[in-house]
Amino acid sequence: MSTDVLIDLLQIIMLTLTTVVVMLVAGFKREHGLVNVLTTAGLAASLLVFVFVDPVLPLQATELLYFDEYSLFFSALITLGALSVSILAYPYFESHNSHNEEFYILLMTATLGAVVLACSTHFVSFFIGMEMLGVSLYAMIAYPVHAEKSAKFPLEAALKYLIMSGLTSGLMLFGIALIYALTGTMFFNEISPAIEAQDLASSPVIIAAWLMIISAVAFKLSLVPFHIWTPDVYEGAPVPVTAYLATVSKAAMLAVTLRLLLISDAFQYEALMLVLTVMAAASMLLGNLLALLQSNVKRLMAYSSIAHLGYLLIVIIAAASIPGILSVESMGFYVAAYFIMSLGGFAVISAISNSGKELDMISDYQGLFWRNPWLASVMITVLFSLAGIPLTAGFMGKFYVFTNGLQGSLWFLLTMLIIGSAIGLYYYLRIIYAILQQPGKISKQDPAMQAIPFGTHAVLGSMTAIIIYLGVYPMPMINILQSLAAAF
Amino acid sequence: MIDLLWLVPTIPVIGFLILTFSCGKLPEIPAGIIGAGSIGLSFLFAILAGVDFMSMSEAGIHSYSQTLWTWISVGSFEAGFTLYLDGVSLVMMFIITGIGFLIHVYATGYMHDDPSFARFFAYMNLFVAAMLILVLADNLLLLFMGWEGVGLCSYLLIGFWFKDPYNGYCARKAFVVTRVGDASMALGLFLLFASLGTLNIQELMVLAEEEWVVGSGIAIAVTLLLLGGAVGKSAQLPLQTWLPDAMAGPTPISALIHAATMVTAGVYLIARTHVLYELAPSVQYLVGVIGMITLIMAGFTALVQNDIKKVLAFSTVSQIGYMFLALGVGAYSSAIFHLMTHAFFKALLFLTAGSIILAMHHEQDIFKMGGLRKDLPWSHALFLIGTIALVAIFPTAGYWSKEEILASALTNEHGGYLLWLGGVAGAFMTGLYSFRLYFLVFFGKKTHDGHEVMGLHLQGPLVALAILSLIGGFIHIPVEEVFHAHAEEHHVSLFYQAIMIGLPLLGVLCAYLIFIKQKLDVEKLAGSGFGAKMHRFFFTQWGMDWLYDRVFVFPYVGLAKLNKKDFIDSIYNGTASFTRYLHSVVIETQTGQIRWYTMTMALGVLLVISIGVFA
Amino acid sequence: MNVDLFPLVLYSVIVIVLIVALTAVSHLLGQKRKDHATDEVYESGMLSVGSAQLKISVPFYLTAILFIIFDLEAVFLFAWAISIRETGWLGYAEVFIFIAILIAGLVYLWRAGALEWRSQRQRDDRLHTIGKSGVVNIDKKTGKAHKTEQPKQGGAH
Repeated sequence: MSTDVLIDLLQIIMLTLTTVVVMLVAGFKREHGLVNVLTTAGLAASLLVFVFVDPVLPLQATELLYFDEYSLFFSALITLGALSVSILAYPYFESHNSHNEEFYILLMTATLGAVVLACSTHFVSFFIGMEMLGVSLYAMIAYPVHAEKSAKFPLEAALKYLIMSGLTSGLMLFGIALIYALTGTMFFNEISPAIEAQDLASSPVIIAAWLMIISAVAFKLSLVPFHIWTPDVYEGAPVPVTAYLATVSKAAMLAVTLRLLLISDAFQYEALMLVLTVMAAASMLLGNLLALLQSNVKRLMAYSSIAHLGYLLIVIIAAASIPGILSVESMGFYVAAYFIMSLGGFAVISAISNSGKELDMISDYQGLFWRNPWLASVMITVLFSLAGIPLTAGFMGKFYVFTNGLQGSLWFLLTMLIIGSAIGLYYYLRIIYAILQQPGKISKQDPAMQAIPFGTHAVLGSMTAIIIYLGVYPMPMINILQSLAAAF
Repeated sequence: MIDLLWLVPTIPVIGFLILTFSCGKLPEIPAGIIGAGSIGLSFLFAILAGVDFMSMSEAGIHSYSQTLWTWISVGSFEAGFTLYLDGVSLVMMFIITGIGFLIHVYATGYMHDDPSFARFFAYMNLFVAAMLILVLADNLLLLFMGWEGVGLCSYLLIGFWFKDPYNGYCARKAFVVTRVGDASMALGLFLLFASLGTLNIQELMVLAEEEWVVGSGIAIAVTLLLLGGAVGKSAQLPLQTWLPDAMAGPTPISALIHAATMVTAGVYLIARTHVLYELAPSVQYLVGVIGMITLIMAGFTALVQNDIKKVLAFSTVSQIGYMFLALGVGAYSSAIFHLMTHAFFKALLFLTAGSIILAMHHEQDIFKMGGLRKDLPWSHALFLIGTIALVAIFPTAGYWSKEEILASALTNEHGGYLLWLGGVAGAFMTGLYSFRLYFLVFFGKKTHDGHEVMGLHLQGPLVALAILSLIGGFIHIPVEEVFHAHAEEHHVSLFYQAIMIGLPLLGVLCAYLIFIKQKLDVEKLAGSGFGAKMHRFFFTQWGMDWLYDRVFVFPYVGLAKLNKKDFIDSIYNGTASFTRYLHSVVIETQTGQIRWYTMTMALGVLLVISIGVFA
Repeated sequence: MNVDLFPLVLYSVIVIVLIVALTAVSHLLGQKRKDHATDEVYESGMLSVGSAQLKISVPFYLTAILFIIFDLEAVFLFAWAISIRETGWLGYAEVFIFIAILIAGLVYLWRAGALEWRSQRQRDDRLHTIGKSGVVNIDKKTGKAHKTEQPKQGGAH
């Protein structure tokens, strides 16, 4: 093991160290604030570590992890998400008078799993990362279960996620096993040569194996028909965890999936492309339709995430026929944009919620603009961005998806994209309408008018700023993405 | 300092944001300081940029562009936020920020005690920002963004006192009528992009000259479509009907948006794209004719109005007609020059009218005024200065610019006697209606008492504008380089010169004889059958509103009524309810039961694998 | 579809045929009696008593899981132990870190009270019921434990 490897592993080492330290501190001194600060500092340190130390790229660090700009970008995104969630979790759990400290241990292990996913080019690290993320998430979702008055029904959500997740893990393992049985390798980049060497490309077993893996991935990404858990889990989980689920878990999964599909040359299977196309179309349509009259903002975000992942799938499908560099660039942009928008949205929900009472009905947001213009404008920016209104990050993302679709001549999917976006506009504007309405009665106890901690303000402000920055001046981001996409 | 150009439109945006997010909680004084101060700062930076620009001009560089960033760059399509400064946009920038600043200062006094004080300034700042983007835009896309932005602000501000439904109606009318023009302009932009592949104005001009033949169909189509946008925004025939109704807004709005800046955007657009118009001479001639007809028609209409602001509104329409006339004969610099002087004296007139209205406790009917020159000495003096500048009496600002336009109408190759005669007739009309207004308000029998509302922030800007109206004609505008082929030197014989100076004076004399000496009994004339009809005809803008009501509005409303259960509507409603129905179907799948969930998972896997393996 | 599915189909058919045949044969040939003991659970001739679903204390599971986890971690040590010479000092360092993390985990579990059989609240309740002397104070009238005055034990944790 050379020093280069150690340098590249620094981020992961920082995360692990933080986990152990947080665990020990939680064991000896139960103090919510202290543990929160430690976690946040650890995450910030691992986010910033590569600002101070230049990583050696690209580098295969042990058999399981591969570091390049691509993995670095997604690790940074993931750590940023975890950082924001950690900041949002403090005020949320402060009202929760039970053990709060373990939440941060779970947050750290989940993040570690997500970062492993982003760096993975091997099925073993893929699976380890996925399970680490998943197992931590079950506990995170169920976290407030001991609270005397828990805001939601976390246990139900966690059980649903656990059972269905278990199912998919099995599926995934089955797929991996089949591929390993036929090709004898678990490295993404060795699969395609092995298949060619043995002329297995049309074997139904290999196709079935791929489809199992894709199904498992589709579950994690909540694509139709594996989307059904999403609203229940989103709604039942405490808001910071929902935010984590919607951003970090999705981004990590997307990062590894695109890499897997691109470097193992999975696009050659027409059956796979067909399945992906069906999934994309169904997700765009069903996701938007399900969200249409939804009155719970968290559920609405869940449905909207189904639709957004459907949009993203267009990029992945188009990657079959257009240069990989453009699809990586587009996906990077869309994921980053969606990541930031979701974080911003959940930050607003989190700002007026606590573990005892979550305000997640649309009616709770009525007249928010008059009660708290700052929160309202963040929410409106987020919703505009989700709807893809120009001068927001969401618009640029959709623009990219569109360009990809055009270049790949995916007319059917583009039609669905347009229909989906049109339906989407309706329910996003419904919330904006509620926000701008006159409030009924303003009471002093209104949660939207209470003081919001500085950290939450910082998250809200930076997410809004990034949304607008990416929408108005996307070129620096595009340049970064182009340089990291050059590897593909 | 010219690299600080971007601050000029940015500062008003910041002002707008601050005022908006204060949610009306900001007290009047800070709101006024932010509102007017942001424009003042913007003006300051405009001056700094202007000074630099002048020294660059001396060194032989006549334009400056500042790319703030490239927004999208995909294939050949590139849209950037680029500001472009040359002589014309410099003049426009000065007018917008300078006069804008004066009007903002005035407005802090005028809007005093209005419950929506901060909202007013928020809109005003947004307007200034949008207008600056419009004139500083380097490509037509950005220009269009500013164009729509000012349209939006105009709508918001006309309907500022939205509790009165009439104001809402006026705002709607202005919005819808200008929308007709905007749609035409957007089509023009698409056509331009389709045929030349860029929207960058400077590139367009070069490409168009290279690729289009003079008088070709595409040139005519594009210029006609752009002209549609210009007449909509600048209230020229046949889309002029919205401007008089726009007077429903607070008076500073009328001064800033509906006299000095926004309504001249059409003039700016045509001057900006004059190369295209030269490639379509017939359309260019049409521009001149539209201007001429508009200016005469609006003159007649102004003559019979009895609302002080409406008289001024029609005089605005008429003066913009002059600018169009100038554009039509190829005298672009005269058009811009008149735009500037008009901005001076029309802002002055409107603001003074505002003071009078304040003094008369929101009375706007000129027949209920009269004999006010003793009560309102300030307003009287300032209004008189504005009026003589409007009438173009030597040597006020108005004289120089109008003289230039009329002279070019006579001598330029595109001009001719017809256009010249129209312009001169209009000059006579201007003298007549302006002084009718003046005499009716300040002379004659006193009916109401007025009390001058005094204050530095009210009278200060007025005095500044009055000085500009008097001496503004000597300002040299640096636009030769932009319209380089048209360095104009007019030699008009003394005879024509005399006519051009004399006719407005004749108009004034007529007004004097009629309204002071009462040589002609207007009441009686208006009472007689033919006279009444004529009065009515003129009063209703030559029946244009009536005609539009009959031709467009009534049939449309009728159709709408007839077709309440409209077929096309039912398609939309049908789509909506179909979507809702689909929603209600698919939402059934969300049972919340885990056994069903796991079953869908299993079925999903089965489905996916069977699609994959058997497809 | 170039895979020969015939063996699979044949296998399935044989399985189905065999099951059907066995069931059918025993149905046809077997004697049919209906006594009162026929439906009883056969347990060496003894009738079953009580429910099969015993309540087992939660700490039992917790301890069992902890045992399994730490037991499994030991497997990694075996793997290291047989390759100790090949992995060298680097392997030693890695295993050292591994054990350190493991110990940190154990310390945490210990501090968090996961190794206690009773939870904190149960211990508090016990202290209420049993006096310091270990005598159970039962009120003769109510049949419930006395609320003896115990010093508060620092709340929930």
